[in-house]
Amino acid sequence: MQLGGAIPGAQFVDPSVLARIGNLDLVARSVVDGVINGLHRSPYFGTSVDFAEHRGYVPGDDIRRVDWRVYARTDKYFVKEFEADSNSNFTVLLDVSASMAFGARISKLDYAKTLGACLTYLVHKQRDRVGVVTFDAEVVDHVPPSAKHLDVVLHTLDRARATRPGHLSAPLTKLAEHFGRRGMVVLISDLYDEPEAIFDALAPIRFRGSDVVVFHVLDPAELEFPYTDPSAFEDLETGEQMPVVPESFRDKYQALIRGHIDALTAKAAERGVDYRLLDTSKPLDFALYDYLSFRERMGRVR
Amino acid sequence: MGFLIPFFLAGLAALAVPVAIHLIQREKNTIIAFPSLMFVRRVPYESVRRRKIRHWALLALRLLALLLIVAAFARPFFRSGGVAAMAGGAREVVVLVDRSYSMRYGDRWTRAQAEARKVIDALGSADRASLVFFGTGAEVALQSVDDRARLAGALASATPGTEATRLSPALKVAATIVAESTRPRKEVVLISDFQKNAWTSNDEDRLPTGTAFTPVAVTDVDTRNLSVAPVAITRSRFENQERVTIASGVTNRGSQPASGVVLSLEVNGRVVETASLSVAPQASATAVFAPITLTPGAMRGVVRVGSDALDADNAYHFLLTPSTPVAVLVASPAARGADDTYLRRALAIGQAPRFDVATATVDGLTDEALARAQVLIVHDAPLNDAATARMLRFAERGGGVLLIAGPRAAWPQNAALPGVLADPVDRSRGEAGHLGGLEYGHAIFAPFRAARSGDFSSVRIYGYRRLVPAEGARVLARYDDGQPALVDRAVGAGHIAVWTTSVDLSWNDVALKPVFLPFVHQLVRTLAAFRDRPASLTVGQVAAPETAADAARPRVAVDPSGRPVPLDATRGDAFEVTMPGFYEVRQGGSDGSAPALVAANVDLTESDLTSVDPATITAAVTGTDEAGDPGASAAAAPRDEVTEQSQRVWWYLLLAGMLLLVGESVVASRMSGRAA
Repeated sequence: MQLGGAIPGAQFVDPSVLARIGNLDLVARSVVDGVINGLHRSPYFGTSVDFAEHRGYVPGDDIRRVDWRVYARTDKYFVKEFEADSNSNFTVLLDVSASMAFGARISKLDYAKTLGACLTYLVHKQRDRVGVVTFDAEVVDHVPPSAKHLDVVLHTLDRARATRPGHLSAPLTKLAEHFGRRGMVVLISDLYDEPEAIFDALAPIRFRGSDVVVFHVLDPAELEFPYTDPSAFEDLETGEQMPVVPESFRDKYQALIRGHIDALTAKAAERGVDYRLLDTSKPLDFALYDYLSFRERMGRVR
Repeated sequence: MGFLIPFFLAGLAALAVPVAIHLIQREKNTIIAFPSLMFVRRVPYESVRRRKIRHWALLALRLLALLLIVAAFARPFFRSGGVAAMAGGAREVVVLVDRSYSMRYGDRWTRAQAEARKVIDALGSADRASLVFFGTGAEVALQSVDDRARLAGALASATPGTEATRLSPALKVAATIVAESTRPRKEVVLISDFQKNAWTSNDEDRLPTGTAFTPVAVTDVDTRNLSVAPVAITRSRFENQERVTIASGVTNRGSQPASGVVLSLEVNGRVVETASLSVAPQASATAVFAPITLTPGAMRGVVRVGSDALDADNAYHFLLTPSTPVAVLVASPAARGADDTYLRRALAIGQAPRFDVATATVDGLTDEALARAQVLIVHDAPLNDAATARMLRFAERGGGVLLIAGPRAAWPQNAALPGVLADPVDRSRGEAGHLGGLEYGHAIFAPFRAARSGDFSSVRIYGYRRLVPAEGARVLARYDDGQPALVDRAVGAGHIAVWTTSVDLSWNDVALKPVFLPFVHQLVRTLAAFRDRPASLTVGQVAAPETAADAARPRVAVDPSGRPVPLDATRGDAFEVTMPGFYEVRQGGSDGSAPALVAANVDLTESDLTSVDPATITAAVTGTDEAGDPGASAAAAPRDEVTEQSQRVWWYLLLAGMLLLVGESVVASRMSGRAA
C-alpha cells in the first residue's frame, strides 16, 4: 500500500505493509530511495567525498596523501584533506523493553526497527559510520559505529525482541562513555519514564558533543485510549493488573499522556535535543523527513 | 402472607452477587495488555472504581430469578382465607381456648385471644369454625359457624374462669365435632398454657385420622406464683370447749425465692393473725396459727397471701364448724358381764369424730335412749325379743348396731339379723386362731388396705362364736379356719354388724394391738354413716345441702359475688360451685336462721404453672411420634406448615426462578456472542 504524502514526489508506504516484508535491508532501501527521490537536488547529497583543503605536512602524515602536484609548483609538502574524513558516527539507540511489543496493527518495536534500519541505511549512503545499541534495563546488543557495519546493524535490528522490562536511565548512563567521538545518536523509544530522568540520562551523551535525536514511538491506542469495556489492564513489563472503566477514565488518561509529551517537548528544547513524536499508524517517511530536516538545520557535522 | 422458614430470607443477600458480577466480574474476565500502567496508575483510584452497571435487563433477570428462588426456600404461604381455601378445599376448624384460671397469669389471656383471633381471621369463605372454651370441662361457645364476626365476638366476650385445666374433655369435644364434619380438611387448634397437671395420657383423646392438630402454647419463660396451701384443721378440747388449730402455708411455684411473705388468717372477715414466711423456689413453708375457740355457728375463715401475677390462688376459704359427736349407746347385760373398759377407752379417745358414749343395760333399752344414739353396741349380752325388735327398728331408721358375740351373747331367731349364732369354738389349745380374709373393699377395712396401715394378722384368737350368716349378710373378716369374724347386713336404712368374738381379753388379745383403736373408730364411724363435712370445696365440685329439698320452702343459694345460684329441687338442691369464696344457702320462708355456708376454692393444682411440651400432646392426640411418617406428621405439624403444604407456593416460585435462569442463560449467551 502506498500513500500520497505531504512531501511532493515521495511515495509513502504504510508501516504495516513494511512490517510484513521482513527484510530490513530491502525495507530500508525502498523507503530511503523513495525519500531521496523525492528530495532530489538535495544540497547534502555527495558532499562528504569532495576535496576540502590543503595543509602543511607534518612528520607522521601518510606520505601517500602528499599532493605532489603542489610540491612540484611550490617545492613544499602539502597534504590533501577530503570531506570524507569528517564523516560522523551514527548510532541508533533502540529501546527493546517489553512495552515496545505493544501495537494493534504494527508493534512499536517493528516500527522502531524499521525506522532505525532506514536511518542507518540513509546515513550509510552518506558514508557515515553506523552503529546500533539495543537495550532494555541493560544493554542487550552493542554494535560500535563503523562504515562496514551496515549489515551487522541491520541484522542486530532484525533479531531484536522486546521481552524484558526496560529502564532508560541505567543503560544510557552506561553507554555514554562509548560516545567519545562527536556524532549523532538517535534514541528510539516509547519513553515510559519521567522526562527529567530521560534527559538526565541523555545529558552525558549530549555533553560529549553528540547530537541527539529522540524519536518517541507510540501506538495510537496509547494516545487515544479507544477502549470502551470495563477491563483489567495488564502492564506488559510488570504484569500488574488494574481494573479500569475506560469511559470515565479516557479523558484523564489523555490529559496525562498529553502532559507527558508536552513535558518531553519542553525538556528537549531546554536540553538542545531534537524530539519527535511518532505515531505508528503514520508512514515511516515522515520520520525520515524529520530527520533530514533536522540535519538541514544543524548543518554539516565536523 | 407469611413464611414458614423466614431464616432463608437471609439468602436475599445473594442479590448482591449479580450486582457485583455486573460491576466487577466482567472486568476481571477481560484482560487488556497495555504497554505501561504509568499513567493509568496516576488516575485517581476512585474514578477507576466508579463503575456503571450495563445490561440492565440481564441484571434484572438474574435478580428476579434469585429473588424467586430465595422466596421459594423460605416457603411462603398465604394466610388470607380466599387463597387458603383455593389451595386445599374448605376446612372444619375447631379452636380450643383454655380459660382456666392460670390463664389470668400476666397477659396470657390476651395472647390466647390474639392467637385465636389469628385463626379466625385466616378462615376462608368456605371454612367453618367452632369455638370451644375449656377448663376442667369443655363448653362449646359456637359450633361449625362460618360467620367470623360471631366467632370474634364470642372470643372477645370470653373471660378466663376459675377452673383448673383438663385437656381431655376439650379434645373429646373437638374429636366429636371433627368427626361429624363433612369438610375435606379438618383442623384442631389448641390454645393453652399446657400445664403439666392438665394432661394425662389417654388413648381416647385421639383425634380422627387426617385431622391437623396445632398446639399453640401461651406460656412464659420465667413464672412467679405464690399460692396458699390448703389449711389443716386440728381439733382439740379445752375447758369443755372445742378449739381448732389452723395450719396453712405458702407454696412458691416460681424459680426465685420469696422472703417476707405475709400470710394472714381472717375469721369472719377480720384478720386475727399474720405470719411472715420465707419460701425457697418450688417449695412450701408452713405457718401454724394460734388455736381458735369455736362458736356454735359456722365461722368463715380465709388464709391470704399478698398479691402476685395470679391472684386466684392467693386466698384459701374454709369453714370452721363445731364438730358433731357420734352418739354411741353401749348396752351391757344386766348382770356382771364382760369387761368393756377397752371399748369405752377406745371410744373416749376419738376426736374426729368425737364419740359421745352412753351406757345402758339390754333390759333397760328404751326407744328414747335409742333415738338419741346413732350407734348401738350390744356388748356380749343376750337379747330378748323386745330388745331385738327395738334394735331392728332402730337399724331400719338408719341406726348402726354392733353385736359383740362373746360367751354370753344370744339373740332370738330372726331373719332380719345377720346370722344365727351357734356354739363357741375353743382355740385356747394348740395354735391360736388368726384373723384373715379381710374385705378391704368395705368401708370398715378400707383405711387398712395400704401396707403398714394396720396389722390384724398379729391378733391371736383363743375363742369365738360360730355364726351362720343369713342371706344377704356380708362376711367382712374370717378366722383362719374360715369361720366368720365380722359379718354385716343392711337392715332398712341402717346396718347390723356382728363381731363373733369378744373385745376384752377373755377370748383374744385384739384390745392390746395397735390396730384396735382405729378399728373400733372406723367400725363405729361406718355404722353411724358418719361423713366428715369438708371445710371447703373445690371449684367444680357439687355442694349438697344436708337436708332434703322441700317444695313448700324452696331454698335460695347465693354465690360469692352475690348472684343467685339456680337450684334443682329434683336433685336435692345440689349445685356446682363455680367460683372461690363463700356460698350462702338460705331456707325459704325466712325463719331467721343463719344461712348454711359453703366455702369454695380454686383447684390448687392449677397453681403449678409448669408446662408440658406441646409436642407430647401432639404425638398423643395424633397417634404419631415426632419422627413419624410424613403423612402422619402433616397432621401433627404446626398450623402454618399445614397451610404452607397445602398451598405449595414454593413450587411455583422455584419453577419460575428456574425458567428465569434459563432465560438468563439465553440472553447472556446472545449478549456475549454479540460482544465477541
